[in-house]
Amino acid sequence: MTGLTQTAPVSPIRKRPATTWSPGKVGESDRRPDGIPKVTGEFEYSSDLWMDGMLWGATLRSPHPHANIRSIDTSEAERMAGVYAVLTHEDVPGRKVYGMEIPDQPVLAWEKVRYQGEPVAIVAADHPETARRALEKIHVEYEVLEPLADAEAAMREDAPNLHLSGNVLKRVHVRHGDVAGSSADVLVTGEYEIGMQDQAFLGPESGLAVPDGRGGIDLYISTQWLHIDQDQVAKSLGMDQDQVRLTLSGVGGAFGGREDLSMQIHACMLALHTERPVKMVYNREESFFGHVHRHPAKMRYEHGATNEGKLVYVKARLVFDGGAYASSSNAVCLNAATFACGPYDVPNAEIESHMLYTNNPPCGAMRGFGAVQACFAHESQMDRLAEELGMDPVELRVKNAIEPGMKFPFGQEVPHPAPVREILERVKVMPMPEEEGLTGRDLRELPGGVSNVTHGEDVKRGVGYAVGFKNVGFSAGFDDYSTARVTLSVEGGEPLVRVHTAAAEVGQGGVMVQAQIARTELGVEKVAVLPADTSVGSAGSTSASRQTYMTGGAVKMACEAVRDRVLDLVREELGEKPGDLSIEDGSIVSDEREIVSLAYLLDRREIEETVEFHHKETRPLDENGQGDAHLQFAFAAHRAVVEVDVELGLVRVVEIATAQDVGKIMNPQALEGQIEGGIAQGLGLALMEEIQVNEGKVQNASFTDYLTPTILDMPPVRMEILELADPEAPYGLKGVGEPPTISSTPAIIAALRDATGRELTRIPVKPEQIAGVSEKLRDEILQQQDSAGYSEIGRLDERREH
Amino acid sequence: MPGYERAPVSAELKVVTTDRAERTPQEQIEAAKEAAGASGLAHEAAPDTMMLSGNRKEVLEATVKVMEAALNAGANAIEVKVETEGDADRFQ
Repeated sequence: MTGLTQTAPVSPIRKRPATTWSPGKVGESDRRPDGIPKVTGEFEYSSDLWMDGMLWGATLRSPHPHANIRSIDTSEAERMAGVYAVLTHEDVPGRKVYGMEIPDQPVLAWEKVRYQGEPVAIVAADHPETARRALEKIHVEYEVLEPLADAEAAMREDAPNLHLSGNVLKRVHVRHGDVAGSSADVLVTGEYEIGMQDQAFLGPESGLAVPDGRGGIDLYISTQWLHIDQDQVAKSLGMDQDQVRLTLSGVGGAFGGREDLSMQIHACMLALHTERPVKMVYNREESFFGHVHRHPAKMRYEHGATNEGKLVYVKARLVFDGGAYASSSNAVCLNAATFACGPYDVPNAEIESHMLYTNNPPCGAMRGFGAVQACFAHESQMDRLAEELGMDPVELRVKNAIEPGMKFPFGQEVPHPAPVREILERVKVMPMPEEEGLTGRDLRELPGGVSNVTHGEDVKRGVGYAVGFKNVGFSAGFDDYSTARVTLSVEGGEPLVRVHTAAAEVGQGGVMVQAQIARTELGVEKVAVLPADTSVGSAGSTSASRQTYMTGGAVKMACEAVRDRVLDLVREELGEKPGDLSIEDGSIVSDEREIVSLAYLLDRREIEETVEFHHKETRPLDENGQGDAHLQFAFAAHRAVVEVDVELGLVRVVEIATAQDVGKIMNPQALEGQIEGGIAQGLGLALMEEIQVNEGKVQNASFTDYLTPTILDMPPVRMEILELADPEAPYGLKGVGEPPTISSTPAIIAALRDATGRELTRIPVKPEQIAGVSEKLRDEILQQQDSAGYSEIGRLDERREH
Repeated sequence: MPGYERAPVSAELKVVTTDRAERTPQEQIEAAKEAAGASGLAHEAAPDTMMLSGNRKEVLEATVKVMEAALNAGANAIEVKVETEGDADRFQ
C-alpha cells in the first residue's frame, strides 16, 4: 500500500454521527438519531463512502441462467489504461465458494454458471466508467445450456443435476396425528402460487475495502450480520478472522436481502491485489441480480373439518424454488413446514416441504420467510372452508384458534401468550371505514388513481380477514446469541454510558432501543451507541424479528452487570447496606435519598462489562418433523377493506386494520413504523411486487418495471397493540418486524375475492385475474405489446447479452 | 462463527491429479465428484475440490468413499480438511 495515511474512509457529504444522544427510556418514543439526516439527504450510506486514492470495482456477470464456461480471456481488459486488476476464480486466494448455510456458491464462477447474473470476473479501475468498459473487454466463451427453471421439474428423476448431489436442497416432513385414519364431514382443496418478491431496498449493495498494509483488510459495508460476513470473507481470502475487520456503514434497508454476501469478497480481493482501497456500488439493475429474493412457491392443500367447523386434518405439499444456490433456503423450508397449518388447533397433519435448486435467481431471506408463503395458502383455505360451511370466516378462525398449552402440529407446546382468538376478535369489531359515494371523489381515492380510468362505475367494495404468526429468533438448535459491551464513565462532569455491539442498524431503530435500554437500566441520560463492528463479539443477524430481543437482551444484561459493580462500589466505599440501592438520574439512591452522584463516585474510573446473551435452547426437528424448534411466536391479524374496479381489475386498498401482540411496546413510534412498513410490503406482495422470471431470465430488473407501493397506494392503518408479556423475554417483549407482512397479504386477497367472487389463487394478483380475463386472451395482448414496444429497443433480457 | 442451519461437519476434498495414470486428470476428478455426488452431501468447491456437509458419521464415511474413488481413478493424492461447527454437539 502506498501513500495512504488515513485509516478510515471519509465522505464527500458528511460523516455519519458515531455518537447519538436522545433522552428516551424503554416504552417511550424517541426521535431517531438518523431520522433527520436521512430525510435531508445528509446521512452517509455505504454508497457514499470515499477514500483518497481509491479504485472502483465492477463485476462481470453471466447473461445466461445455465451455461458451461469454455474460456475466460481477460487480456484485453488488462491492457486498458486505468485498469488495475482483472480477477477470476483462479485469483480467489482461499475457499472458492461461500454460503451462510451451505458453501455452494462460487465467489467467481469457474466451469459453470447456474443463474443469470452470476459473477464471473471482477475489475478494479480508476474510474467507475473505466471499470464498466473493462468488463466489456473480458471475453467469456459460454456453452449455453437449457435452464432448469421450474422447481417441480427439478424434482423429476430425469432432470439434470445442477449440483453434485442433485437438485433437492432440503425436505421437511411433518407428521402429526393420523391423517389417513381421520374422517371429516367437509373437505376443501386448493392450489396456490406465490411469485418472487424482491426486498426492494433503496440503498444498493455497496462497500469499501481498505488494505491495512500488513496483509489484513478493513471492510466498510452495509450488511445484516457483520460476523457471518467476516467468517465467509476470511475463508475465501485465506486469512485468519482477525485479519479481516468489518465496520457497518449506512444501510439503506435490508429485509433479508443483505444476509448473504454480495460484493464483500470481491472488493477485498481487488483491494488486496491492488494494495489500494476499492469501492464497489451496484446500480439498480445489478442490485436485482446481486441479492437473493423471496422464494416463489407452489402449495397444494387439503383441509378437512366437521360440519360444526372444527378442523380435523390438514394435508399440504409445499414446493419452493430455491434458485441456483442455497442461501438460507434450509431455514425457509423448515419454517414453512412448521407454519403450514397456521395458528390453529389441527389434530392431524401431514406436511411436506420441499426446497429445490433451479437455474432461477437464488432465493433466501426476506421478511417473514417461509411463513409468508404458507400464510397465503392456509388463510385462503380457511376462507374456502368457511364458504363451504356457510360460516363467517372470522368465526371459523376463532373456533380453531390455537391456545397456550396446546401443541402445534410440529409437536412444540404453544407458549403463553398466544392471543390468536383475541386479535381476531379485535380486528373484527374495529370500526369499518365509512363507505363514501363513488362519484365526485378525488381521483386519488379511486382504483387506478390519477390514471383517471374510473369515475366510480363498476367499483365494488370487499372485506377480508387473515391471521398469521412467525417465530422470533433463530431456531432448530442454533445457539443464538448476541454480545454487548457497556462502559460507564464520566465525561465533562456527567456520567456517560457507551454501548458497543455488532448489531446492524438497517433502519429498524436498533440504535434507539439500545440507548433506551441503557438509560432505563443505568439511570443515565447520556448514552453513546458506538458504530457496529467486529471488534466486539457477534450480535447475530438483524433478521428473524430477533435483534431487540437478542441484542436488547444483551445490552440489558451488560447494563445490569455494570450496575451491580457500581452498587458494589457504593457498599464497599461508602458502607451502604446492600439490597435497597438503585441508580436514578445519575445518582445512587436509597429509599428515595441520594447517596452519591455517579460523577463523584466514579471520578476517573470506568466500569465495563461485556456479556453474551443466549436465548433458551431450541431443538432440531426429528424425522417426523417434531420438536421444540422455535424460541418465541409473534401473532398478528389483519382486516383489509378494498375497492375494486371489477371491469378493469384495478384496486384501491381503503384501509388495513390490525391487531398484534408485541409483549411490550419498547418504542411506540418505532413500533408503528414497523407495522405500517410491514403492511406496505404485504400490500406490495398482494398486488404488484414480483420479479418476473422467464426461463431463468429476469424480465424486470428496474424500479420502472418492478412495482412497489407508493404513498398513494398505502391506506390508513388502524392498529391495536396487545402487550401480553412473554415471561422469558427481556421486558416481556416480542419481535415485531415480520408479523405485519405475513397476514396483511392474504387479508387483501380475501377482500378482493369478496369484491369480485373470483378465486385468485396466485399472488401478486394481476388486473387481468381480477377482471377475469382468460389466460389465452392475456397472452395475446402481451404478445401484441411485445411486438409493439420491445421490438424497437430490444427486450430487456436480450439487451444484456453481448 | 457458527452459521445458522449449517451442517455440523464439513469435509473439503481436493483431488491432486497426475497425468501418468491410465485415466486423464479430468477423469480422476470426475470419479471423485461422482462418488461425492452419490453421498447426497456434496457440492463443488473448486474445479478440483468438493465439499461434503452433514453429520459427522455420514461425512466421514462419504469422505473415505470419495478418496477411494479418486485413488482408484489414478489420482496422486487427496488433500482433506475436515471442520466442525462451533455448536456441532447440539446437532448430534
